[in-house]
Amino acid sequence: MNSAPRQLNLDQWDARYEQLRRDGLREPAYGGPLRRLMVREKDFRLQQLRFDNSPAALRLWNFLLTENQRLHQARAGGHKIVGTMKDLGTVPVMAYALPGLRAFYPDGAWWTPCLMECSDRLLQKAERMGLDASFCPVRAMLPALVDGGHFPRPDLLICSSGAVCDDFSAIAQRLEHLGHAILWWEIPRRRRPASGETACALPGLLAAPKIQVDCVRTELQRVGQALGKLAGKTLDDDCLAAGIRAANQVRRRLDSLRRAVYSAPAAPLPALEMLVAEMLAIHFCSDREETIAVLDDLLAEVQSRARRSQFVIGAEAARIFWVNPVADLRAMNLLEELGGRLCGSDFMFSHALDLIPEDLPPLEALARSALADPMVGPTGDRAARIVRECQAGRAEAVAVSRIPGASHCAREGEIIREIVRREIGIPAIEIEIPPVCDAMLPSLASGLRALVETARSRRTR
Amino acid sequence: MICAGIDAGSRSIKAVLFDTAPQQMIASGLTDQGVEQERLAAELFEKLLQEAGLARPQISAVVATGYGRNAIRFADTTITEITCHARGVHRLAPEARTIIEIGGQDSKVICLEEGGRVRDFAMNDRCAAGTGRFLEMVAARLDMTWEKLAELGRQSKKPALISNICVVFAETEIIGLLADGQPLPDVVAGVQNAIATRVSALAGRFVSQPVYFTGGVALLPGMARALEEALGCPVRVAPRPQFTGALGAALSAAAKPPDGV
Repeated sequence: MNSAPRQLNLDQWDARYEQLRRDGLREPAYGGPLRRLMVREKDFRLQQLRFDNSPAALRLWNFLLTENQRLHQARAGGHKIVGTMKDLGTVPVMAYALPGLRAFYPDGAWWTPCLMECSDRLLQKAERMGLDASFCPVRAMLPALVDGGHFPRPDLLICSSGAVCDDFSAIAQRLEHLGHAILWWEIPRRRRPASGETACALPGLLAAPKIQVDCVRTELQRVGQALGKLAGKTLDDDCLAAGIRAANQVRRRLDSLRRAVYSAPAAPLPALEMLVAEMLAIHFCSDREETIAVLDDLLAEVQSRARRSQFVIGAEAARIFWVNPVADLRAMNLLEELGGRLCGSDFMFSHALDLIPEDLPPLEALARSALADPMVGPTGDRAARIVRECQAGRAEAVAVSRIPGASHCAREGEIIREIVRREIGIPAIEIEIPPVCDAMLPSLASGLRALVETARSRRTR
Repeated sequence: MICAGIDAGSRSIKAVLFDTAPQQMIASGLTDQGVEQERLAAELFEKLLQEAGLARPQISAVVATGYGRNAIRFADTTITEITCHARGVHRLAPEARTIIEIGGQDSKVICLEEGGRVRDFAMNDRCAAGTGRFLEMVAARLDMTWEKLAELGRQSKKPALISNICVVFAETEIIGLLADGQPLPDVVAGVQNAIATRVSALAGRFVSQPVYFTGGVALLPGMARALEEALGCPVRVAPRPQFTGALGAALSAAAKPPDGV
């Protein structure tokens, strides 16, 4: 079933899938040829993407793109559905610690306009609900939740507020005004401990004053009570500690995958699949156990390719560190078509990749993990981590992608670029990527290609 | 060895023939851009060959740059404007540390290291307000050429403040200013200042001197001065600014091996 790694378009995947089936491909229940998702789910963007040709990548894509279907099945099977909004990787850990709960990430609907090439008009519907293009594409979540045509309406909606994205707060408040009850929990803006304050170490080499950690812990306790009530079981420390250990299994696998891919002399897995794989950290794509299996497959594939010295992108590619997720998945393919490869990433949820401390009381550990969220702290903290990871990944350049309308990153890109430039002296560009970037493809390609050219020209002289 | 560079810009196509033996440009020319970019570029290329008394087989390599570079299929390879302007300006002004290029539909700030290597760059490619397109719009609205427009700008005593950052809204604002009796030279200078302000925002805080201004817009009187005011430092116009991209492409063609993509 092994064949030389390469990227395939949807037509090529049809043939590849038939071959794999003949060779005895075994798939999970959500498996099948990718084309069916384009036909059945109207995920037209798949026709414009190029996918890794491994069975592991097929499983990843099928896992990602059947999430709504799997959530409906879970609901039909008696599971309670919890929408965990804005929080990137904390509340899902709590929800999955309880039996019978499925947490998902309604904000993930922001990829729907891209995947469906705006054919379901979610963004236009959001405009009619008062959220125009000056808001982040996450506004697609609003009509998706109100219409109920994508994922099931959650039994419980939880959203963090405070030091989070302004856009998202506005969108979630609009949702509440439309009659969808939300359990809000507050997270303060992270600051460094002042002199005389008790400091708490956070994952990611960060620190916060104990008073902030206490505040978040109390908030999470309230969230835990609501989750326990929904599940009909108290979320006690033992239960939560087991949930944290399970979440860390996912994070350890992602860490291994990132190390294996980003440190390899050439790329054993494409940028697009890495973006999707890393996204699993946030809410396990609605199935924690399956996430582990999907990542195990990917890691095994990557390790096998590395052993065979077979790569998707060659060693001559410019090593690019990518900051922020892209609204149009096509952009990740484009990077490689233009001569680049990923050597590191910060897709805005780096705290969800760090291990949750297992040697602390569980709620305390989760509070510290939540406070390490790059979005609730100063951009300088985020930039410092990017600099460290650029150095570790021997990055030759940095691409900061901007999400149109997303207020939390209005000046962040510029600050990150300045700090990268000052600290490690490599070129960094900022590019804007809308949900469907076709109209901007020439200028987007020019920017990325110029970055690759500049990175390569700096190698030899 | 003779190499060619073609810069297929949004407003015009520029071409340069470069002889590596005396290390100099031996021919250059430009033509208006149009729908049939490749045909226009090929005609310009042939014209330059004729002027230089050369035949196509005598040209060792052709590199295309500019937004329309991918349409120039007779080129051996393509390289972005960032790399080409950097090489072109460095050839003509080796001391340059920052290059500002304002083109018909985008603008760029390129930082150079000693030796001419690109250190970093920034591009404005999603808004017409910092580009030559803004001037084109004003020229079209006032029914005059760019050159005449720029000449008027030099006569300004008190540049108008154009507050809109969107070209479409700025057009309405300009009409309003003229209707209110603002002198035309002041309005034109106001437009130049608005463009310069947008470009200076793009440059951010990493402008190293000397700063060179290139691209066709650099030829317009008043623009360099507007940039100087916006950046707060001297701005020199690059020699033959409309050809630096094409020259850089020709220099890239001459490089062995080409270090483009």
